[in-house]
Amino acid sequence: MAVKHIKGNEIEGAASATEKLSLIDFSAAWCGPCKMLTPVLDKVSDDLDDKVSFYHLDVDESPDASSKFGIRGVPTMIVFHKGEEIDRMVGFRDRNALQTQLKNLADSKLV
Amino acid sequence: MDLKTGLVGSSSSISRELDLVIAGGGPAALAAALYAARYDIDHIVLESYQPGGQAALTAVIENYPGIKTITGGDIVATMKEQAESWGAVFDMSSLISADPFGDRIQIKADSSTYMTRNLIIATGAAPAKLGVPGEDKFYGRGVSYCATCDAPFFRDARVLVVGGGDSAVKEALHLSEFVSELVLIHRRDKFRAEPYLAQKLLSCGNCSVLWNTTLKEIKGDEGVEGAVLNTPEGEREMKFDGIFMYVGRKPATEPFSNLIELNDNGTVRTHNIVHTSRENVFAAGDVTDNDLRQIVTAVSDGARAASAVFDLLQ
Repeated sequence: MAVKHIKGNEIEGAASATEKLSLIDFSAAWCGPCKMLTPVLDKVSDDLDDKVSFYHLDVDESPDASSKFGIRGVPTMIVFHKGEEIDRMVGFRDRNALQTQLKNLADSKLV
Repeated sequence: MDLKTGLVGSSSSISRELDLVIAGGGPAALAAALYAARYDIDHIVLESYQPGGQAALTAVIENYPGIKTITGGDIVATMKEQAESWGAVFDMSSLISADPFGDRIQIKADSSTYMTRNLIIATGAAPAKLGVPGEDKFYGRGVSYCATCDAPFFRDARVLVVGGGDSAVKEALHLSEFVSELVLIHRRDKFRAEPYLAQKLLSCGNCSVLWNTTLKEIKGDEGVEGAVLNTPEGEREMKFDGIFMYVGRKPATEPFSNLIELNDNGTVRTHNIVHTSRENVFAAGDVTDNDLRQIVTAVSDGARAASAVFDLLQ
């Protein structure tokens, strides 16, 4: 599944839309590691299609949302389950590291 | 073996035979990839280790000959594009281990296993942590290792920069364009940074420097609110909204500890610039023990390493 682009007013819905986990990637066009993370998220979203929904939010496009979630560095990935924040990852993660972390979270939260 | 793909073994444990694996994604690896492709060496680049490397985290590069000024992100993107245009092959898989296998090296990645005649280690180095209380707790909540990535979140804020080398001073100068006030602390009484950068920082209007000063603790609740400093006059608590750390780098050499000799600080022990303790393993860029760690030396290492592989294959 592809990573879906959302704006600040769509975060709440995205965070609690399904039984799956939701990952929201807060990033920016001017940030090098964010650019490197994009293909990783594309791959991992395919790998974990049945466990996690993936979203991307541009912090410049939605500054209020970034402030509301206390984002002070990009990329920051927040993982939600049924609307509740269960994990936060700051900085680049490679495919293996991200996949492992999300699998562990899914195993602990999804029946 | 499938002659078309070069793959051997069952689909669950696919093993591909290659002449060269390049581990890394920064300038050293990208230069090695460019040269390997032009030498027509059968290779793959496992780039998951820090794609773009430290260079991609640098705001402005002004000391790469031939290019007056460029962002770190742009220079590595161009290097990758150039390598790909010559046929360099990239794999986003993560390198898990590298072990000797007869006269070859077995590289396990998360998606496949490669059996290679040669290896170039160009996995770079990640920013080192200082290990002070609050550092992990507030990472991403005011603590940062990348001003290029995070400076816009600190507009009109008061920030602390820790370090006195090129990276610290360069990133402090970038930050100073966003923040209202910047304090840089350095444990020595003079900069290690190149004099041009040091002078620029010392004449920056909203910057100040505290010499012989170290960071003891980061204070805050939800995010960074201040820091306790050890100064020559004693302990001092100051208010900050953000803290940027540039206190050295940790080489990414863990997967190679069974393969080659490493130095106590984790860097690859090299001789003749890119040669290691194993004849068919080379090292390039920030991962080595070479003293100058710049983009210009990293690409030089990458080119030398690919050239050495080419010679071995003849």
